[in-house]
Amino acid sequence: MNRQIRQLGVAMLVLFALLFARLNWVQVFDAEQLTADPLNTRRVVRDFGQRRGNIFTADGVVIAESIDVEGRFDRERRYPEGPLFSHVTGYFSFEFGATGVERSYNDELAGHSATQRFESFFDFFGDGDISADVTLTIDSELQRVAANALGERRGSVVALDPRTGAVLAFYSWPTFDPNAISNTDLEAARAAKDALDKAPGEPLLTSAHRQVFPPGSTFKVVTASSGLENGVVTPSDPVFPDVVSYQLPLTEVSLQNFGGSVCGGNLAQSLARSCNTTFAKLGAEYLGPGPMIATAERFGFNDAPPFDIPLIADSRFPDDFGIQLGQSNQTPSAPIVEGSSLLAQASIGQFDVRATPLQMALVAAGIANDGDIMKPHVVDRVSDAADGALLAQIDVELWRQAVVPSVANTTAAMMVGVVESGTATSLARGNLTVGAKTGTAEVNTFSGAEDTHAWVIAFAGLREGEPELALAVIVEAVPGQGQQTGGAVAAPIAAALIDAHFG
Amino acid sequence: MKAFFVGRHRRNSELVLIILSGVVTTGAYVLAAVGRLSSIPANVLPFLIVVLGLFFAAHVATRFLAPEADGLLLPLAGLLNGLGYVFIARLNDELAAQQAVWTFLGVGLYCLTLLIVRRSHDLEQFRYILLLFGLLLLVLPLLPVIGQTINGSRIWVRVGPVNFQPGEFAKLALAIFFASYLVDKRELFRAATWRVGPLRLPEPKHVAPVVLAWGVSLLVMISQKDLGTSLLFFMLFLLMLWVATERLAYLLTGMVLFMVGAYVAWTQFGHVQIRVDAWLKPWEDPLGSGYQVIEAQFGLASGGITGTGPGRGYPQRVPAAETDFIFATIGEELGLLGATAVLMAFVLMIGSGLRAALGARRPFSKLLATGLTGLLGVQAFIIIAGVTRVLPLTGVTLPFVSYGGSSLLANYAILAIIVRISDEQTDRPVDAPTPGRRRPKAAAGAR
Repeated sequence: MNRQIRQLGVAMLVLFALLFARLNWVQVFDAEQLTADPLNTRRVVRDFGQRRGNIFTADGVVIAESIDVEGRFDRERRYPEGPLFSHVTGYFSFEFGATGVERSYNDELAGHSATQRFESFFDFFGDGDISADVTLTIDSELQRVAANALGERRGSVVALDPRTGAVLAFYSWPTFDPNAISNTDLEAARAAKDALDKAPGEPLLTSAHRQVFPPGSTFKVVTASSGLENGVVTPSDPVFPDVVSYQLPLTEVSLQNFGGSVCGGNLAQSLARSCNTTFAKLGAEYLGPGPMIATAERFGFNDAPPFDIPLIADSRFPDDFGIQLGQSNQTPSAPIVEGSSLLAQASIGQFDVRATPLQMALVAAGIANDGDIMKPHVVDRVSDAADGALLAQIDVELWRQAVVPSVANTTAAMMVGVVESGTATSLARGNLTVGAKTGTAEVNTFSGAEDTHAWVIAFAGLREGEPELALAVIVEAVPGQGQQTGGAVAAPIAAALIDAHFG
Repeated sequence: MKAFFVGRHRRNSELVLIILSGVVTTGAYVLAAVGRLSSIPANVLPFLIVVLGLFFAAHVATRFLAPEADGLLLPLAGLLNGLGYVFIARLNDELAAQQAVWTFLGVGLYCLTLLIVRRSHDLEQFRYILLLFGLLLLVLPLLPVIGQTINGSRIWVRVGPVNFQPGEFAKLALAIFFASYLVDKRELFRAATWRVGPLRLPEPKHVAPVVLAWGVSLLVMISQKDLGTSLLFFMLFLLMLWVATERLAYLLTGMVLFMVGAYVAWTQFGHVQIRVDAWLKPWEDPLGSGYQVIEAQFGLASGGITGTGPGRGYPQRVPAAETDFIFATIGEELGLLGATAVLMAFVLMIGSGLRAALGARRPFSKLLATGLTGLLGVQAFIIIAGVTRVLPLTGVTLPFVSYGGSSLLANYAILAIIVRISDEQTDRPVDAPTPGRRRPKAAAGAR
């Protein structure tokens, strides 16, 4: 019988080896897929019930915290400031998941990042709290000023430090109250989400970084930079003709200056007065498609900046204007292509050019920071919730060099001219250097409707210092409300932010 | 004298291993409490003392009653029992309190069995009584009043406040009967003088009692809708028949019969189809029949290599996490490492049991040790295989680990008998190398 007993032993060994192999498959090789399975709510329930760190503004205001509740879940997420920061923090819902920083820093807030797990490994006798607090770069006062200045108008305000990319204010209206969706009364949360999905203006879809708009005349900063960078113009030469309209290449169609006015002069004068005719001609007849596309893309178009709030939209600049048909009769000469008339419109931020408000703030930031656009970010640091020890400090990093420093400084000087004697004189401040560019973007160039988005992009710094604030403001077109100009509608919001920051 | 030294050496290593398993158990207990409640339980020291004290008592009993028994079996059972308790306590305080009582009774039964069964072959004489007793235990749940149906299986008996599964003890009784009967009649089984077509079978009159016992137990099991236990009985019978007769044909024929039976059951019985569907395509009914298995896979996956840590996972999402699915709980919170440790413990336990069988001098003891060890091993395999989706799920307990009084008591009795058999090798057999002694090569194949 011993032979059979040994065979039985071998058979049992084989069977248990099979179990071991299977365990390796389930727990290691297939684990990621099983964890990602939509039926697997284990992780959500875990994250939901566990301690979760607070989110603070840069000046120490608690804008997200967890409170103990009774019921199926141990804790519920609360947002003491209600709708003010909802587009930054996002919400944290059992059924709808997380958005905003709640999502991008979920692992840190819940204590699941590699560092935290590693530390907790040696912390058997701690109180088991390995969650972390997240401190933002957002300044609560500036955010409040932005919200008050925008009021109940559809639009966005993005303000950041051009030297670091730290976002100081990030507000869009319509907004929403994240408390409603994060409710652990799932019935109520569902009703709130449903109502918000149906609400006008899509409050859940942050317009500051998830929606794109024609940037209109604010884009002329990019066109001017491209002209300087490619050496086809200087601020003073050539002098563009004073005209009412510009006939688009290869067409019988004319592009008007704003309000049908006569406009022209050198580049600096044209930027101050926002002459459509000058910049359309500069783009179509002096630069041509190649240089225009290249500069736009170096500023970040046809891409999305790395950002710590998820779901950022790509800003767009058309990258195909058709084949070359001839050569313009300017000096220097640019190729005339099938789409030169469209390129002319793109050069003033119309046609198919689309940008997020964040992207336009980065254009201003790049000009203000010697041409270097820093990585935008809303999170400054992550620290241990229990003892406040610093776990991670977000690095200041270069995103891309848009233009060389000399070009950036020349463009910046021309933007200062816009404030001193152009369309944004309301932003002039005696003790500050302020540069700006307004925009009044037609929602649809060819519909004949007069509704416009009001834009302004700006930077500001102390007289003898570097610019320390860059911003973009858009007040969206209201159908049927007619024209609203950047100078009259958007600039006061920018003024409020500048005054609050330097006040 | 030599035997005495061997025994003492084994007992001392047993004691060291028991202390080790007590410390491991207590460590896991503390971690589970910290993970769940973020505080060290106040009763750590009493817990350690009780765990050590309990198994120390079993060790002392072994030292006196079976001084030369294998030194691994008891510590392994203690480790599995301890780990099981930690995870039951982590899931359900009330069940943990009951399991603690059952553990006391189980260890008591272990000592009692060693005390009563002084020679394993004494059991041989009770074979028909045990057969009758085993069959009676099996039909008990079918009786009115005391029979209980829990979770769709009528395998419970209620006496006063206590529920128990008599089937657990029937396994032991029938294993003893099989061992005794098969050893007695194995020459007749091997003779195979009865020709049926191309097959040569033993005379029907010799086979009859075995087939009867096996058939009745299987029928009862099927009528009670307890697939796991019927599979277990069948495997036990098959293994013992094969080892006793040394004829592979029995094993192969049995396997084929089993396949046919399984296929017929699959086409005929709804509850079998549900089990098979839940195994092959759980994702087609994720909230119904597939739920338990899917949640177990999610749990194991969330454990990964090192586990979530005791008390830090969500094993309670898996139905029956304390009983049939306790392995999923361990896999989730201790990870691949902890789950593999449990597998290793069973492999070592099987190894020790089979070594006892190899060393046993009497064929009855040899066959009994093989059968009982096979029972533990197969039972552990089929429930772990069910939990990990290697096989369809058949609800049986994980020996020593799962919550369950009847199962724990029966397994301690089984353990005691294996320990008893391992003790009966005073004249060191060729197959069990001892310190300072070489195995003679020529005798390696001796029976």
